[in-house]
Order: sequence, then structure tokens, then C-alpha cells
Amino acid sequence: MKLSAEERWDLIDRISKETVTFGAYRHTLTDAIGELTIKPLTGIPIAIAVLYGFWSLFGSFAGTLCTDGFFVKFFDGYWLPWLQQVFPGQGNWFYVIMVDAGGIESGEFVLSESSFESFGVLTSGLFLAIGVVLPAIFIFYLMLAILEDIGYMPRLAVLIDTMLHRIGLHGYAIVPTILSLGCNVPGVAATRILETKKQRFIMMTLLAIFIPCGAQIGIMEEVVPDLIGWIMLYLIIGYFIFGYILNKIVPGRAPEFLIDVPPYRRPLARNIGKKIYGRVTGFFKVALPFVLLGCVIVGILYQMGVIQWLGGVLAPIFVGWFGVPPETAGPLVAAFLRKDLAVAQLSTIEMTEYQMITSVVLVSIYFPCVATFAMMLKEGWKDLLWALAVLAVVVFVYGGLIHLIGILLGVA
Amino acid sequence: MKILLMGHPNVGKSVFFNRLTGANVTESNYPGTTVDYTKGWMKIDGKDVELVDVPGTFSLDPKDKAEEVAVAMLHENRGALVISVIDASKIERGLYLALEIIEEGYPLVIALNMRDVAEDKNILIDADKLERILDIPVVSTVAISGEGIKELVSRVKEAKPVDVDDIISNATKAADVGAAGDVP
Repeated sequence: MKLSAEERWDLIDRISKETVTFGAYRHTLTDAIGELTIKPLTGIPIAIAVLYGFWSLFGSFAGTLCTDGFFVKFFDGYWLPWLQQVFPGQGNWFYVIMVDAGGIESGEFVLSESSFESFGVLTSGLFLAIGVVLPAIFIFYLMLAILEDIGYMPRLAVLIDTMLHRIGLHGYAIVPTILSLGCNVPGVAATRILETKKQRFIMMTLLAIFIPCGAQIGIMEEVVPDLIGWIMLYLIIGYFIFGYILNKIVPGRAPEFLIDVPPYRRPLARNIGKKIYGRVTGFFKVALPFVLLGCVIVGILYQMGVIQWLGGVLAPIFVGWFGVPPETAGPLVAAFLRKDLAVAQLSTIEMTEYQMITSVVLVSIYFPCVATFAMMLKEGWKDLLWALAVLAVVVFVYGGLIHLIGILLGVA
Repeated sequence: MKILLMGHPNVGKSVFFNRLTGANVTESNYPGTTVDYTKGWMKIDGKDVELVDVPGTFSLDPKDKAEEVAVAMLHENRGALVISVIDASKIERGLYLALEIIEEGYPLVIALNMRDVAEDKNILIDADKLERILDIPVVSTVAISGEGIKELVSRVKEAKPVDVDDIISNATKAADVGAAGDVP
């Protein structure tokens, strides 16, 4: 037999009267902290402090301590010179792809001095994956796991709700957004918690375009530390501008959200350890092959002259519309596989600071990486096609706009 | 045999799943951590049993894609047994989903999880009496620390389909006994 909702609640009422005793409500310290972090007056400053702490720990642990403090010294001081010595066939195509593409100085072949410039699979590839990306995603996932297990995420969602409503989403969209800052793949999966197709589409499109992943941010911190603030600012502004526009043109509803804010809990070290291990190993199963493969493919394409050709063909758009050098064609090809790799490549090209900002923003927004693309396909090919259409427009319009801003500021 | 772990979002289904199968699905303190199902294997009385970690849902009337996955999972597995995980501090709305599943004829066991949180909030539940009224096993648990998990596993085989009419008459009987007990 089936009951109506009303009959069911009536029965539950009778059962709970017999079995549940509600004592007096005690206001605990946890409750008090819970309220302080969710009321706007105290909650917003606390949220800013939390996010700022998150950001500065990320930079100081991953960038300063691990990468600069250890891995750069190790890879540039020992690993690269050693491989340059022992790897046979200096200057031939296999050496170029595996170890060092080097450069030509006054007509002579010279070896690279750093693992950023060599672009070999075993040098730059390993250095980027292990020396830069590993510390970045380790610290990111450690801090994310702590915030998740304490129960802070739903509170952040409540605080940012009003802002996200303007772009057709609601506070809970902060969860896929933050997950995407680690990796876009789980971020796309998490859009399932949004209620309507419209919200899911807007969210997925914005994630794929404007949210750089942890690996990418880690590399930016390393190679363009002075410009990363501007790059992130352009991405955040784009997220809101195009979210606002999408909200106006995508049909469908954007309902209010109801959320259970769970009580704060003490995070368990065991669970945090398990989560970091699972996420970091999962990331590396996906990332490491693509970084290495990316090095191989870009190396081959350079040797075949494809990238030089592509740079020539695309030069009018690159130079005229976006205001960046034609050499950025190479990194844009690499970005299909991994954007972190592409950012590292950009850093080795001669250009002005503003061109660097523009080109890193372009690499971030111009196409989702292979893994994200596959995940979006899994969530529905129609939405994926629409998202790509939006993406093409965004790259063209926003890229041009950034160039225009540069021209107006007199820096481009 | 197949067992589905079902309940509201953020009641601890994934914690049970990891404990019972030794798997490693993500556990967090926010609703909506699990958005797709995960299958795993556990042993009950030496037999391999398939366990499914189902995304959280408030009712059998889905309102987002994660809930659609949950409801579809239930309906695709007509012969399955359900472990209904309920947040003991929010027992009433947990029972709503449990009753919906009972009404569809599934055998059910109830895990009254987060007993510690409920006690902190001064909410006391008479699990034995609840068990008598519902006529299915009800086990108090604290999944994160492992409390009650063994008892839950040992009682899974007692799960059986119940007619909701019987629950109504049990509730009436319990109320009558309670009223009689109040007489000095």
C-alpha cells in the first residue's frame, strides 16, 4: 500500500512521538562559531581571510618552498646537466624530443640552461609534472580536504549566494567552482547537484572556460608570479560578465536553493590522508601521461615545422586581434593536451608583460583540456557542442576586449 | 544479493560504504559529495554481497541529476535490499524517505547514524521501540568511528518487506500502551 505525503507525515509524527525525546537545546561553542561564519557581517570578512590564507599558503608551500627551494635546484643543477651529458646523440631528433631542444646562438647549437627551456620529455616534462604540479596539487587538496571535512563549503555557498544569483546560479555553484580549481573533471561532475538544465549548462561552460586548474595555477605561480594577479582578475571578471550574459540568453529556470548547513566537525587525519592520496594519484594517472605526451607531440610538430606554419597562418589573428606574438601558436597546440604545459611554454617566448597576461588568459579560456572535454562529453554531447560554440565567441570577444583594454591603457 | 545504501545527502552513506567494502570513495562534510553511484563488494556470513553507494536524495521524487541517479538506481534493482541511512538528529525527514522505500516493497534495515551528534543536541531515540513499530532492524551507529557497523552487518539478513498498514497499527498499539502506562 502507498500513502499520500500527508498520511506519511502523519504516521511519522505518531512514530516520533513514541520514540524520540527532544531535550532542551543547548547553545554550544560549535553553534556559535557556525553562526559567526555564516552571518554576512562577520562571515564575509572571515571568508576573505580564509580564501586569502588558502592562496598564500598555496603559493608559499608549492612555489617558494617546494619548487624554488628544492626542485628547481635539483632539476637545473643536477638532473638536466647530467642527462645532457649521458644521453646519446646530442642534436638529433630523438635527443631533442627526450632531453633538450636547445637553441642556436651565433650559428652554434647550445644546450639549455634550465628545465623550463629545454622542452624534453625527460627534462621539462618530468620537472613540470613532479617539480611544479605535484607540490601545487598536494597543498591544494590538503587545504580543500580540511575545508570540506570541517563543513565550511556550505557556509561559503550561503555567503556568496546573492552574487551568484546574478549569473543564473546560486550559492551552491561555489562547490563545482572550487573543485574545478583543483581539476575541472570532478568540477564538471559536481554540476549534477544543480537543479535545472540551464544552471548546469551555465556552470559547466563557465568552469571549462574561466576556471584554471590547480596544475595550471601552480605553473603560473612559478613562471609568471608577478602577473598571476592580473590573469586571475581577468578570469574572474570574465566568469561574471559571461555568466551574466548566459543567464540572460539561455532559456530555463534558475530556482532558489535550499541547503542543509551541516554542523562543523573535527576533520579526521585518516580521511584527509585518504582523500589526498586518492586525488593526487588519480590526478597523476591522468596528468603525467598527457604532460609527457604533450612534450612529445609539440616536439615533433616543431621539428616538422607545423607549428611555425600554424603560427604564420594564424599570425594576423594573433597579432592583429589579440595583440600577442605569432609564436604563441605552439603553446596553443600544446594546450589541447595540457594547459599547464602550455603556460610553461609561453613563459619561454619573448614578449611584453601585457602580451604575457593576454596569452596566458587565452590559453586558459580557449579550449578545455582533453580530460575535461571527455568528462563534458559524458555529461551530454548537445551541451558540449553549445558550450564550445559559446567558447569560440568568448575567446574572440574577450581576447579582443583584453587587447583593447591594453591599447587604451597604453600598454599593448 | 545486492544492497543499496540510501538516504539524504550528507548523512554518511559514503562513510558506511568505505567501511564495509574497504573502498575509497570521497567522504566530505557537505551535501552533494557523491553525485554518481559506486559499486563494491562486502562479505556477509562468508558470502560476497554487492554494495552500492547511491547519491543522496531527499525523496523518490528527484529534483536534480544526482537525485535522478539515486532514484533510477533503486528502480533498476527491484530485488535489492536497502540500508536506509538516517541522520539521527533529523530523524523525521529521514523516516519519510525510508517509508517511501518501504511502501515500494523493498526489504529495509535502518542505520540511525550520527547518534553522537543527536545526543549532543539532546535528542534521544528509543531505537528498540522504533524497531518494534517499523518491524525491521534499527541500529544506532556512528559511522566515522565504526560504532554499530558490526551489528548493522549482522542484522542485514533480518530485513524484510513490511506492509505500511502494519506499521500504522503498530504505531497505534504503541500509543495505546504508552497512554495506559501514563495512568498512575
